[in-house]
Amino acid sequence: MTASSRTGSGSGTRLPGGIRAWSRRHAFSLLSSLGTLVRQPIASAMTIMVLAVALCLPAGLWVALDNASHVGQDWERLDTLSVFLDGGVDERQAMRLSSRLSAWDEITAVDPISPSEGLAELAGQMGLDEAVGAIEYNPLPWVLEVTPTTASILPELAERLQREEGVETVIVDLQWLERLAAMIEVIRQLTVLLALLFAAAVAFVVGNTIRMDIHNRREEIEVMALVGATRGFIRRPFLYSGLWYGLAGGLLAWVLVRLALAVLAGPVEVLGDTYDAELGLRPLTARLSLVLVLGSGVLGVIGSWLAVDRHLRRIRL
Amino acid sequence: MVVFEHVAKRYPGGIQALKDVTFCLNKGELAFLTGHSGAGKSTLLRLIALLERPSRGQVIFDGRNVGKTARRHIPGLRRRIGIIFQDHRLLSDRRVFDNVALPLVIAGAPYPEIRRRVRAVLDKVGLQDKERMYPPMLSGGEQQRVGIARAIIGKPPLILADEPTGNLDPELSADLMRFFLQLNELGTTVLIASHDLDLIRRLRRRVLVLRDGQLVDDVPARMEASAG
Repeated sequence: MTASSRTGSGSGTRLPGGIRAWSRRHAFSLLSSLGTLVRQPIASAMTIMVLAVALCLPAGLWVALDNASHVGQDWERLDTLSVFLDGGVDERQAMRLSSRLSAWDEITAVDPISPSEGLAELAGQMGLDEAVGAIEYNPLPWVLEVTPTTASILPELAERLQREEGVETVIVDLQWLERLAAMIEVIRQLTVLLALLFAAAVAFVVGNTIRMDIHNRREEIEVMALVGATRGFIRRPFLYSGLWYGLAGGLLAWVLVRLALAVLAGPVEVLGDTYDAELGLRPLTARLSLVLVLGSGVLGVIGSWLAVDRHLRRIRL
Repeated sequence: MVVFEHVAKRYPGGIQALKDVTFCLNKGELAFLTGHSGAGKSTLLRLIALLERPSRGQVIFDGRNVGKTARRHIPGLRRRIGIIFQDHRLLSDRRVFDNVALPLVIAGAPYPEIRRRVRAVLDKVGLQDKERMYPPMLSGGEQQRVGIARAIIGKPPLILADEPTGNLDPELSADLMRFFLQLNELGTTVLIASHDLDLIRRLRRRVLVLRDGQLVDDVPARMEASAG
């Protein structure tokens, strides 16, 4: 090398430009950030674990919610109306009303249940077969089980059925579904709130980790500044570190939720059996997985940006 | 190349490091800056490299008023100055190679060029077989030379050296000075802060003398001056 040759840049203060130089500097930042993580494996692992646990709670809650709301959907066939007819209505009248109702647009099916069928079912459910045998007079009326086309029209339909001749009462067995829906809504809001809180936690945890990292590398930062590194160049490895922390934390959270789902699958199936229902657990959706991992990565970048910027300002770079 | 116009620097706490210093260092010149410790030598160098800003007066480097440089232009300015620190300022957890390569990495040079130039410059300072070592494994003189290699690798037009011979034995010091003279002969402007008066006198170059923050003497280079 000859000491006489001058730097090529004209004005002297312009940084050597070009996409290639830019990408080379990025590659350096990326590699050096990975190097930092690898050089302190235990500290990195602990940070990532904290992030994962913090992310697990909202993600797990969301999955539970997703499953619960699907339970409601699967059981919409239970959104039937029980139309109790007058005591004096006989089989012929009941059948006529049944066929008339099944012609309505908003009704999918009508299932007439005779008093004796009703009594047998009731006895079966309650284990009272013998007691029923002793009853001479069946007090039950004819009942029409009406299945509407959609659950949303239930209230109007019930009102209309109530006005039909020979109808005693219409019972909408919807309350538990409404309660479930209301409960899901409450938990959904809670999940959103928790997600916001834990998102902030992720940013702060990453920020704090980066802050300690900066502290350990204070000397290096100063030397880099002395030999002409820009703020961006100094900041970039830390931003990458934040990104890795966030992505790794999100990924680990995803794995933990998957594990939890696998552990819960057995008991949930048993629970489903008691309801005679196929209660398979729905896994994390692809979209939620993506949001979890990428969102965590973005939060990591934000957290480290805040930490680095504060520090650079303090050492007046 | 470097112009000081009535420059004063007062640190917070009232310490007056420099009072009304005026001088001009021409392109291609080599000058020594001397004075007892605390006379303001380091402050003067720090003002040029924008590690400090003057309290009063102007510091002009390459026609640009350094004190008024916007923050985003500082990195570019520092790349045009090679600074050699008394305490080396090396990264102890990076190999010699990476320490020397740092200015080129920051500039985004391609790796083959970095490797070639680092090897060349390490060869120049006599550390060609030490590139895989870490600075703490090296002697003080070797560390100093790593710092010099880092300062010159970007081929800056100006070299500032703060007590470069501070901890070296006389022979190494003389070697180092010859090295600076060589750089200077190839066109680099060099300003060396040193209190090694014997050595300075022998080299017969321009000498700026600071006392209590004031420039008390400016001895021009003598004609018969020659390297070593």
